[in-house]
Amino acid sequence: MTNDTISKKKFMEELRRYEKGSVTRRHFLHVTGLGAATAVMGAAVPGLRPRPAFAQDIGDRAILATWPNYHDQANFDAFTDKTGAAVQVNVFGSNEEMLAKLQAGGSGWDVYVPTNYTITTYVEEDLIEPLDLSKLPNYDPAAFDARFSDAGIVDGVVYAVPKNWGTTGMAINTSHNGGKAFDSWKQFFDRTMDDYSGRTMVHDYQLTTIGAALNYHGYSFNSVDEAELADAEKLLIDVKPHLFAITSDYQPAMRSGDAWLTICWTGDGKQLNTDIPEIAFALGKEGGELWSDYYAIPKGAPHKEAAYALINFMLDPDVNAREVLAHGYPVADSRTNALLPEEILNDPILYPAAEKLDALEFGAAATLTDPNRAELLARFKSA
Amino acid sequence: MTQRARNWLLIAPSGALLLVMLVLPLSFVFVFSFGERGPSGGYVPAFTLEQYANLPARWTAFKNTLILAPLGTLAALLIAYPLAYQLAVRTDPKWKTLLLVLVIVPFWTSILIRSYAWIYILGGQGIPALLGSIGIENVRLIYTPFAVTIGIIYGYLPLMVFPIYVALDRLDMRLLEASGDLGARPMTTFLRVTLPLSVPGVATGCMLVFILLMGEFLIPALLGGGKVFFVGNALVDLFLQSRNWAYGSAVAFTLIVIMLITVTIYMRLIARLQTGREDVAVM
Amino acid sequence: MRLYSLVVYVFLYAPIAIIALFSFNAGRHASDFQGFSIQWYGRALNNPFVMDALETSLIVAFITATLASILGTLAAVGLQGLRGPARAIFDALIYIAVMIPGIVIGIATLIALVTVFDVMNPWIENLWGDADNAPTLSMGRGSLIAAHTMFTMALVIIIVRARLGTLEQSLGEASADLYATPLGTFRQVTLPLIAPAVLAGFLLSFTFSFDDFIIAFFVAGSETTLPIYIFSSIRRGVTPEINAIGTMVMLASLVLLIVAQLILRRGDRT
Repeated sequence: MTNDTISKKKFMEELRRYEKGSVTRRHFLHVTGLGAATAVMGAAVPGLRPRPAFAQDIGDRAILATWPNYHDQANFDAFTDKTGAAVQVNVFGSNEEMLAKLQAGGSGWDVYVPTNYTITTYVEEDLIEPLDLSKLPNYDPAAFDARFSDAGIVDGVVYAVPKNWGTTGMAINTSHNGGKAFDSWKQFFDRTMDDYSGRTMVHDYQLTTIGAALNYHGYSFNSVDEAELADAEKLLIDVKPHLFAITSDYQPAMRSGDAWLTICWTGDGKQLNTDIPEIAFALGKEGGELWSDYYAIPKGAPHKEAAYALINFMLDPDVNAREVLAHGYPVADSRTNALLPEEILNDPILYPAAEKLDALEFGAAATLTDPNRAELLARFKSA
Repeated sequence: MTQRARNWLLIAPSGALLLVMLVLPLSFVFVFSFGERGPSGGYVPAFTLEQYANLPARWTAFKNTLILAPLGTLAALLIAYPLAYQLAVRTDPKWKTLLLVLVIVPFWTSILIRSYAWIYILGGQGIPALLGSIGIENVRLIYTPFAVTIGIIYGYLPLMVFPIYVALDRLDMRLLEASGDLGARPMTTFLRVTLPLSVPGVATGCMLVFILLMGEFLIPALLGGGKVFFVGNALVDLFLQSRNWAYGSAVAFTLIVIMLITVTIYMRLIARLQTGREDVAVM
Repeated sequence: MRLYSLVVYVFLYAPIAIIALFSFNAGRHASDFQGFSIQWYGRALNNPFVMDALETSLIVAFITATLASILGTLAAVGLQGLRGPARAIFDALIYIAVMIPGIVIGIATLIALVTVFDVMNPWIENLWGDADNAPTLSMGRGSLIAAHTMFTMALVIIIVRARLGTLEQSLGEASADLYATPLGTFRQVTLPLIAPAVLAGFLLSFTFSFDDFIIAFFVAGSETTLPIYIFSSIRRGVTPEINAIGTMVMLASLVLLIVAQLILRRGDRT
């Protein structure tokens, strides 16, 4: 790269690669010609900058509870520049954890990101605020695919607006399998007990880990049937000695090469695959989870104006498109999709073939709150 | 004001705090342990022994804890004792304070950050890579019970070194010299004189580490990869994942009872060991 | 023996060295060194959430340590003259407070306060008359300080009592014989003698509160202390910013300790 000016698109691509750590800072600065500019900017102390005046004062912060690897920091920075409110990100490992924190009271969050199957529970427990759509001009219900937006509406009231959707499949480092990915949960567990022993990770929460074991036996991902759960438990306990870890934060071990196989969400699969092409993302042919996440405001949010402003900002199709490019999760918003490059829309990781999607199920509210599944996971972890 | 009234006044504020922040919460745990889980989690008032009947479902967690806590304590003791001895008895007084402070300094970095450093050291790019370069391939250290043990020894070593050092430091050197003058071999002197005199320090250190290990959950969570499961981890999951406050309370209450019993027995044993000597500084 | 000590020190400092080393990493990932840079120190110092968390931790630790030293010292002195069942109950409570794992304290405090607040908040609202502006009780800085103070106060009582136990009872009596008021005796005789123990208790309480993650995890509500911030950041994938924070906190403690030592030495000489 010798020319000093590069296209905006190229710049964004490089920025994304840099943020994900796949290029060195020096490479990034060299390619983008920002080296000199950074030196100048670095000398300016941000703390001394006068606070600019904003059109509307929404306070100085918004606190967001969300999932790992799920945002583009540049968008938060842009939000802060525009509104003066900084975004504090609290990261959680599972919906169970979010629900537990809200049930215990005083979470202090302004915005959180519940998954489809949890929203009715939040409504029953009175932990979620009905949304005032007049404060969300960027939310256009007609633009959204109903399949991924209707869980936000309970009894005709809009409690949550769609963020992203995705699937729960597996990521596999194919260099240990002759370059081939797995295509079933049967392979996932059988190979874990064979040549992938000690290299596999499963999630640290019940829904997907038990769901995958149920899929192995050909049962429903959402099953709460005692006999079926018993089969799943036996499989999980047999597999446990062969696991590398039980964790929902699986990217570091996949990147370092310590682990070769993991239960994985769409965007993590995309991020891993982009940086390390040997890591493939695949869905199990027996089934698996199809999910959609939503933006919502918890009851008693301390900075409600900032919460609406943040959600509205994130729903802006331009912002949303940048989010997708950064995290690799598809959106159900046709306005955003219109802005995305062709290769993203044709990416089989983000948009699997229809017949593969048909095998998947949405998680059910009963699955989340089922005490037997919670106990099963505890037995599995303590085995 | 009478002396008695004054004493009462002096202990009133701390008594009130103990009442509100200790007695009240523990009473809640006790009451909740007879309740039931709500349909979507939390607690519903009831009177049932069901939660206690379910305790065997966490037997493995209790077993792991009851094995690990004493073993971890012993491991920390074995590593800490020689160091404390070296510092207290064999080190030039000029350097003593500095070297002792150096034992404690790592304690001032968050245990979270230190454990994360161990993830790197024990992970594929750390020690296994070093071993690989000298021909020992495929060593797995991270996310094993070994990693948890290392993390525990690392995390609690200063707590063990400190009290033993204090006990040994008080040791009158003339006793050791006298023992030598009387013809005792160094080993005999150590076994007959030094070791018994350091018992109070050892007792304090062991108790501190043991108590902390019984409730440990961070180190196994970070270094055990979720596969090493103690009562502490079971409690975190019960309250922060499956939201079963009733059952969680029963597990917590059982843990308290087990600790009260083991620590009381332990203190009795130490006291018996120490009869005839000065009072044990157990805490 | 020397070699052994050296090995233990290497064991103790290897992770610290790694933390410090990676805090100067130019790259974004904590585990992949890509050249020297101090940018993460600048980032940490300019990150409002890091500074807020640090401020919260310092305030909580300072109030905790102050309250714990005062309440604990008073109680230790009061307990000296107390006998009978009240004394036995108090001793048992202190013993339980120190012995119960932090995780149980955290959980117990959480469920008790959440339940009590749920009962009291509607009640306060009624009393206030104006439902929208009535104060509501919730988990936060107050509950965190209360929980930390309870535990550390018990530690202070134990430490100060050990010191009081070694003092001559006759000193106090002599002072009383000389017609000193009880307060005068306390100020002029007892306090100077137990001061080192109180100071040790203060420092221990401060360190405990500043470092505590487990209790805060349950009872801090929406407050973010430094350990809670670090925990959340570890989940987002560690950047060297966390290493920079850890290194700075450690250096700051070291400097404070050296300063404290110097002051104490000077105090000894005069």
